[in-house]
Amino acid sequence: MTAQAIIQSLASGLLMGLLYGLIAVGLALIFGLMDVVNFAHGEFLMIAMYVSFFLFTFFAIDPLLSAPLVAAALFVFGAVVYLLIVRFAMRAKANAGMVQIFTTFGLAIVMRGLAQFFFTPDYRSVPHSWLGGKTISIAGIFLPEPQLMGALVSILAFAGLYFFINRTDFGRALEATREDPGAVALVGIDKNRVFALGWGLGAALVGLAGAIMASFFYIYPDVGASFALIAYVTVALGGFGSVFGAFAGGIVVGLVEAMTALMLPPSLKSVGIYAVYLLVVFIRPRGLFGSI
Amino acid sequence: MTISRRDVLLGATATAALVPLAARAQASEVVIGVIYPFSGGSAQQGVDAQKAYETALEVINKDSDFDLPLAKGEGLPGLGGAKVRLVFADHQADPQKGRAEAERLITQEKVCAIIGTYQSAVAVTVSQICERYQIPFVSADNSSPSLHRRGLKYYFRAAPHDEMYSAAMFDFFDAMKKKGTKIETLSLFHEDTIFGTDSGNAQSKIAGERGYKIVSDIKYRANSPSLSAEVQQLKTANADVLMPSSYTTDGILLVKTMAELGYKPNAIVAQDAGFSEKALYDAVGDKLEGVISRGTFSLDLAQKRPMVGKVNDMFKAKSGKDLNDLTSRQFMGLIILADAINRAKSADGEKIRDALAATDIPGEQTIMPWKRVKFDEMGQNNDANPVLLQYVGGKFVTIFPPQAAIAEATWPMK
Repeated sequence: MTAQAIIQSLASGLLMGLLYGLIAVGLALIFGLMDVVNFAHGEFLMIAMYVSFFLFTFFAIDPLLSAPLVAAALFVFGAVVYLLIVRFAMRAKANAGMVQIFTTFGLAIVMRGLAQFFFTPDYRSVPHSWLGGKTISIAGIFLPEPQLMGALVSILAFAGLYFFINRTDFGRALEATREDPGAVALVGIDKNRVFALGWGLGAALVGLAGAIMASFFYIYPDVGASFALIAYVTVALGGFGSVFGAFAGGIVVGLVEAMTALMLPPSLKSVGIYAVYLLVVFIRPRGLFGSI
Repeated sequence: MTISRRDVLLGATATAALVPLAARAQASEVVIGVIYPFSGGSAQQGVDAQKAYETALEVINKDSDFDLPLAKGEGLPGLGGAKVRLVFADHQADPQKGRAEAERLITQEKVCAIIGTYQSAVAVTVSQICERYQIPFVSADNSSPSLHRRGLKYYFRAAPHDEMYSAAMFDFFDAMKKKGTKIETLSLFHEDTIFGTDSGNAQSKIAGERGYKIVSDIKYRANSPSLSAEVQQLKTANADVLMPSSYTTDGILLVKTMAELGYKPNAIVAQDAGFSEKALYDAVGDKLEGVISRGTFSLDLAQKRPMVGKVNDMFKAKSGKDLNDLTSRQFMGLIILADAINRAKSADGEKIRDALAATDIPGEQTIMPWKRVKFDEMGQNNDANPVLLQYVGGKFVTIFPPQAAIAEATWPMK
């Protein structure tokens, strides 16, 4: 194992990890806000990838340019999903947790089915994007441009989210609703609007990730599944409800995955992630940055 | 004579047992179960397979002028012109769902045979169920060598398996070496289900026997979100030939990641699967000029055997695609099975099995470059000669073996 191989693995792991972080942040945001795990998170990612793909195919808009559009579309989609579906699932008196799980899980299956029906199960890809297939090489270390851009977008998006939550009125309303959804009604905050905003934001973040990923990953109706599992582990590892934890967790997962693949047979690379996850929950059950 | 209650019961049971048999024998249709992934990650293979089977169905049920078994005339003459009906079932690439669907097809839909399954891992469970119910299973497109070695009596495969394919690859390497091409080291890259594992094992074994050195043997997790670590290792090993055994999704990601990490091998010789899929070439075909994949079918054959082109036209009208390695095997699989049912003159599982075992179709009466279709005692057709195809200028040309080749191999690729 050469030093170069180790550095290359660390670099690839970091780039992938930042993207995992971006995917997981939206999940953590929704969970932190209202204790609902969105089991359709991977399907949100899938829809974002398709939107980006179709914008490229029909309007020749590069995934890089379409990312804000995709994020905006997913924002609306997320808010609508909350207002039309999740809001009602949350009213369940008995077995509320179960009802929410089955609602978002059912949503995931319906979304996959609809995607297969309308888009066919064929594998798509954006063949000639601006960054697609381009690579920067520094001293023999290869940094693919789409992933670099993904990492950059991920950092910017996280910084933006951090600013939004801590520095704006809406962000404060978000925090307050998360602290005590009952009390905010007394000061005139509409809980439903804040929750819808939270779903919109969560979906917009995964939308950004999907748009960027369209330039280097294949797209098909089940594509979300491979990433959703990692997102759940990332959120649990970083600490449930912690947006910062999800971001940091993503980086840890990316690095651990890359290093495991380097040291063990690659078919075992996810073992490393789950081993670290078990270790973390064993020592610190709330996750690395969890507050609950 | 007194009739006891016991006699009545016996008689009733006997009648009940006979009725379905009689009904089956006189049926004007024969039902065959088709098990494929119609949802999930491999759904496109299922959708394409369905079109291939519907094409074969048209050849069997309608009158056509091909030199294929059952093409002339309508339906199965051995069963009074009975038509074949297909029942499609979705296994979602899950061996357990495959098992349940096979059971459902046999007990509820009363199919007389099952054909499938794309994934070898699913063929394992489906063929076990068929064996238990004594219903023939035709493995149309599974390529794992271990499938026919389980001593199953109702298992049949007309197409080659991965040891035959791998042997053809190494025959090709040997031939290239004789011409002075340097081929000494190999990198194996295979996914971790039965297809990739069996393929990797077959390739390691033959490499050892023929004196090729395997410098990296990477078994990777199927449908991984990232393959950069794996490609990094392939790049470090930098073998003369990269030999991937991957389904479509992983194949696309592999080729993209190779380009990103600046790895360009001298040659890629692929074990079909994803590397025979149009979707893969749509996505990354520009990076694959000169890639070689094994196959059991080649459209080139249409030059020598015009019916291949005609069948292709029929398939293309339904699917919008040319026949490929998988869809051609699926098409032939159903023709061979229907031919056996016709000769069995019955929809009885055991009789169809015996008819399958007695199959002897000359290669000219297939759309494949095979010598013949004749099953050994394990249900494997050893006369199904594989071919090697090279992707040149946006299409595949046959480059090996010499008797089927229409072009010389370009080596190194690019």
